[in-house]
Amino acid sequence: MRPVSSLSLSPSVKVRLVSAGFRFTSDLRGLKPLQLSKEASLSQPEALEVLQTVRRVVGGDEGGGGASASLTALELLQKEEEELRSIVTFSSQLDAALGGGLPVGKTIEICGAPGVGKTQLCLQLAVDVQVPSCFGGVGGQMVYIDTEGSFLLQRVVDIATAGVRHCSLLAEDDEQRVAMETFTVETILSNMFLVRCHDYVELLAELHLLPGFLSAHPRVRLLVIDSVAFVFRRLFDDLSQRTRLLNDLAQQLIAMATRHKMAVVITNQMTTRLRGGQSQLVPALGESWGHAPAIRLLLHWVGPQRMAAIFKSPAHMDSTIQYQITSEGFRDANQCEQPQSKRPRRHTNQPAASQRVTSC
Amino acid sequence: MSISASCIWPRRWLLLYLLAHLFIKELYSLMEECHKIISVCVCVCVCVCVCVCVALLLHRGECRRLESGLRLSVGCPVLDELLRGGLPVGGVTELSGESGAGKTQLALQLCLSVQYPTQHGGLNSGAVYICTEDVFPSSRLQQLISDQSCLRSDVPPTLISRLQFSDHVYIEHTADLESLQVCLSRRVPLLLARGAVRLLVVDSVAALFRCEFQASDWLERTKQLLSFSSTLHHLSQEFNTPVLCINQRRHRDPPNPGRQEAPPLSSNVSPALGLAWANQVMVRLMMRRLQETVARGNQRSALRRLEVVFAPHLARDGRDAAVWREGVRGLTGIVGVF
Repeated sequence: MRPVSSLSLSPSVKVRLVSAGFRFTSDLRGLKPLQLSKEASLSQPEALEVLQTVRRVVGGDEGGGGASASLTALELLQKEEEELRSIVTFSSQLDAALGGGLPVGKTIEICGAPGVGKTQLCLQLAVDVQVPSCFGGVGGQMVYIDTEGSFLLQRVVDIATAGVRHCSLLAEDDEQRVAMETFTVETILSNMFLVRCHDYVELLAELHLLPGFLSAHPRVRLLVIDSVAFVFRRLFDDLSQRTRLLNDLAQQLIAMATRHKMAVVITNQMTTRLRGGQSQLVPALGESWGHAPAIRLLLHWVGPQRMAAIFKSPAHMDSTIQYQITSEGFRDANQCEQPQSKRPRRHTNQPAASQRVTSC
Repeated sequence: MSISASCIWPRRWLLLYLLAHLFIKELYSLMEECHKIISVCVCVCVCVCVCVCVALLLHRGECRRLESGLRLSVGCPVLDELLRGGLPVGGVTELSGESGAGKTQLALQLCLSVQYPTQHGGLNSGAVYICTEDVFPSSRLQQLISDQSCLRSDVPPTLISRLQFSDHVYIEHTADLESLQVCLSRRVPLLLARGAVRLLVVDSVAALFRCEFQASDWLERTKQLLSFSSTLHHLSQEFNTPVLCINQRRHRDPPNPGRQEAPPLSSNVSPALGLAWANQVMVRLMMRRLQETVARGNQRSALRRLEVVFAPHLARDGRDAAVWREGVRGLTGIVGVF
C-alpha cells in the first residue's frame, strides 16, 4: 500500500490522480483503463501506463499479489483484429474460405502434385502481402526461401505488374492514389528478400539466422519456404533423424510466426502410400509433419479444373474452391476480367471435347 | 574359446569388456552427432556470408549467382517464344514424348545452339550428351551442322563458319546406372569446371530406371532416382548449367481418381517414371507426333507439337513444329496440312 506520489509517473498525472481521490495504490486496484481515464480525466495511454506501473510495483512488493499479466480471450480477439490482419489474396473465393484471407501469425502448408500451382500461389502471396493497408492489405515485406530454384524473376514481374494494375483500377479516393505512388513493381521487388538453399543443412542454418534478420526488419509479414519437401525427401538413410529435424523445424517456424507476427507458408510435395494393395496420394514428409502446420491446403486437379481444398484448419470449415492460374497469377476460376489471348486450338486427333482446355 | 577357458576367465573382466565395447559404440555415435553439429555450425558460419538478396537487385541484373535470368535458345524464334526465351539456366528441364516424336532432334539442336555467343541465345560453350540406350546419331549431327546457316538466319554466316561445332559436343555412352553415376560424378564435373561445356543432356532417363528394377524394388528405384536427380541439381546449380533430360512415354492407365498429375494438354500418354521424378523437375515439356504431314519445297515432315506441361514461368500452351533437314522449326499460322 504505497502512496501514489511515490510512483515513478509524470507530476501532472500524479496531480490529477490525487485530485480525483486516488491517493494510495490500493485505490487503483481492480480498475480498468477506461474507468480510470474517465474518473481521473487522463488519456487512455496514460491510464494504461499508471495501471501497469501499479501492477509492477505491487507485484514486486507483495510478491505476486495484485493483477496478473494474463489476457482474456476478448482482449486477445481485439488484439488480433487490430494488429494481425489477414493477407488478402486476389482470389475472392479463397479469401472467403479462409475467413478474410491468409491469417497472419500461423503456419500454413500448401501441398499438391507437380504443376498444380503451389509456387504460383506462393509468388502471388509474395505480392499480396505488400498491398497497402488502405486497400485492405497488410503492407508488409516478405522473405522467400527457395530450395528448388523455381523463383524465376520473369514470373514475379508478371504477377507484380498485374497486382499493381489491379490496385490502380480500384483506387478511388486520394489516400489510395497516394498509396499507389509507393506501390510499384520496383518497390514490390525491393520488399522481397530472396534466400537460396540447396540442401537441408543450409535451410536449417538459414532458419537459425532468420530471427536476427527479422528483428532488423520488423515489417516482414510473410515467410515462404518453397519447398521443405524437396530438401528433406533426399534424407533416406535415417528416417528417425529426419523426423527429429522436421519437428525442430516445425517448432522454430511456429515460434517465429507468433513472435514476429507473420504468416509462414510452407510448400509440400505429394507421395504415394501403399495400403493393402491400393495406392493413395498423400502429402509427403510423414504423418508427424502433418501436425505442424495450423492450416493445410491441398491443391489438386479434377479433370482439367484446378481445385484448392482446405483440409485442416482450427478456425475454418473444410471447403473446396476452384481457381485458375492466369498470366496475372492466382485467380478465381470464373473470373474473366480480360479476354484470354489464347484461343483453343483444334487438333484432329484430339479425343472428346472434355479434354480441351477451357478459356473465356 | 573352449568352455574350460571361459570358466577360468573372470566374469568381471567379461563385464568390463562388454561395457567398454558399449561405451566405444556410444562414443562413435556421439562423435557422429558431434560431426553433424559441427557441420551445421560450419554452415552457419558460412551462411553468415550467404546473401539474403533483395529481388530488386536480381531485376537490375546483380546477384547473378542466385538467378541469372539467362535462357538457352532452342534455335527457332517460334519455339523460343513458347519458352519465353528458351531453357532456363540453373534447373532441370524434362522433354518427354513417344518414340519418333523428335526429342532427340531437339536435343541435338540444343547442343549446337549452346555454342553461339550469348547475344544469339547461346552460352558460348559446348555440350555433354549422355546416351543410355541408342548409339549417338552422329551422322544426323553432321547434317544439322552443315545446315546451321539455313536454320539460324539471324546469325551472320561468318560467325557460323568460324564455330567448330563438332569439337564441342562431348558424347558419353552409359549402359547402366553405375557407369552413369561414375560419369556424372567424375567426367562431367571436370568438363563443367573447365568451362568446356554448359549444357548437359541425358538421353534417356527412363531407360535406366525402368529395366533395371522390378516392380517390387520400387523403394530402391526411388532412392536411386532421387540420388541421381540430386546429382543433376547439384551440377546445374554449381555450374549454372541447363540440364535436359529426355524421358520416354507410357500409355496412361485408366483414369484413377487417386492419380493427380498435371494432365497433358490433349493426349492420353504421360511421361514415365511417375511422381517421384516429376517432383524433381522444374520445367516439363512434351513433344507429340500428330497424324498430319506438312510440306515445304521438296521436303515433307510429320506435324509435331511441342507443349509446356508445367513450368514456374510458362503458361500451359503449345506450338506446332516440324522436323526438317536443318532441324526442328516451329510453325506459325495455318500451314498446308494434309
